[in-house]
Amino acid sequence: MTAVRRRAALTLHELVLLAALAVVAGFLYWALVQGWLALQVAMGPFGDLAQNVLAGGWMVVAPLAVFIVRKPGVGVVAEIVAALVEVVFLASPVGPMLLVVGLVQGAGAELAFTLTRYRRYGWGVFVLSGLTAAAANLAIGMVRFGWATQDWFALRVALQLVSGVVLCGLLARVAGDALLRTGVLDDHAAGRARLASDAAADSHAVAVAGEGRP
Amino acid sequence: MRRPAEASGTAEVGNPGLGRPMGHDSLLHRRNPTVKLGVLLVVTGALVAVLDPWTPLALLLLAGPAVTWAGALPWRVVLRAQAAFTPFALSVFLVNAVTRPGDVLLTAGALEVTGAGVAVGASLAWRTVLVGTLSTAFVLTTDGARLMTSLHQHARLGPQATFAVLAGYRMLEQLPERWTTIRQAQAARVPPGRRGRGRVRGAARAAFTLLVVTLRQSQRMAVSMELRALGSGPRTVHRPVALGRADALFTAVVLGACAAVVAASAGAGWLESFGAFSPP
Repeated sequence: MTAVRRRAALTLHELVLLAALAVVAGFLYWALVQGWLALQVAMGPFGDLAQNVLAGGWMVVAPLAVFIVRKPGVGVVAEIVAALVEVVFLASPVGPMLLVVGLVQGAGAELAFTLTRYRRYGWGVFVLSGLTAAAANLAIGMVRFGWATQDWFALRVALQLVSGVVLCGLLARVAGDALLRTGVLDDHAAGRARLASDAAADSHAVAVAGEGRP
Repeated sequence: MRRPAEASGTAEVGNPGLGRPMGHDSLLHRRNPTVKLGVLLVVTGALVAVLDPWTPLALLLLAGPAVTWAGALPWRVVLRAQAAFTPFALSVFLVNAVTRPGDVLLTAGALEVTGAGVAVGASLAWRTVLVGTLSTAFVLTTDGARLMTSLHQHARLGPQATFAVLAGYRMLEQLPERWTTIRQAQAARVPPGRRGRGRVRGAARAAFTLLVVTLRQSQRMAVSMELRALGSGPRTVHRPVALGRADALFTAVVLGACAAVVAASAGAGWLESFGAFSPP
């Protein structure tokens, strides 16, 4: 948190938004856990790979939070609070280790935005965010479950990277754009940026129209 | 449709609501929530380094009866919770059994079951059930709102973050009802001939609607919290959470018991750590 406070402290307004995001994410993550258990049974003896197929879905709130608030640390905060909601209020079987997992996943997903100094929110940055999140999740799996020494490590890596890009990076951008269109983000950095760019486009259009006048 | 009071549920035995403990009193109910969370984090964190099948099994055989007694939990609830983690544990066991290098025990088609795979798989599977048991005991004996108060008091969680998470908790309590309402509204609009189609799409739409509605609510909440100057400075705490000697004793007993099991396992020559991932 100290790093957050140094330059851009989070306001109560932003913290409540992050809590709301994290709560919904925690609730949906919990639903995803039920889907994961079903997929696991459906995949039979290869059920353990199901978590790599779905892994990206459990990290989507981090890039979404960074997209909305645009301050350092918010992705990590959102993931940790989502993990807290899962552990404390929804009784996740993974236990409090999920807080550590959330920290690492959030940091992984946020890395892409840190590299662009929280200034760029194009599709490429979201793809990169999915990749860095997947890499962080792989690192944690290697410590917790020893994935690196299993025979199917390459398959796991491939599934995980695809899942990270699609279910974490791209999904966050799609959800972020859809939220912008609803107007619910107008009070936040993402909404302000959009309003500013819309206003700039409008004034440009007016200027162009003005030039065309006789 | 269920009304909010019913949906969030009073803490009746066997069916605690979101973030609410079981209604009775017990040794575990009375412990400081931050201490409980910390002990749980330390124990489950330390377990990551234990990779032989015997140590987690011994800890599980100790922890099951211990939490049932200390939390005065019905043993059926504990067993049902353990049953919920079994598919995952079994799948972890199977995948590890057939994907790790080592001396081959038996061959089934293209798959080779190895000794090292069985050992590591069993260890990870027991760990899954053990961690599940401990977290179930934690959730069934801990009040979410008291935990946040305690984290603010004893873990120096900032007032703004505490209020934000507590506000989030209020939103969470309403989520199941909201979800039901949205799904019912969707179902009412589907033409009779097309029921049951596009389930994933419908669920995704409902999830997005849930997100938008909750974000709007968070905006209103943030404004009313700012009007009351919540988070603008230090404040007193309603119903402070106690932290005392009994919590220190609890920590010492739990960590001591775990250390004793690990030491006994090391003495018997069973204990293995990350070396088990890559046998010589």
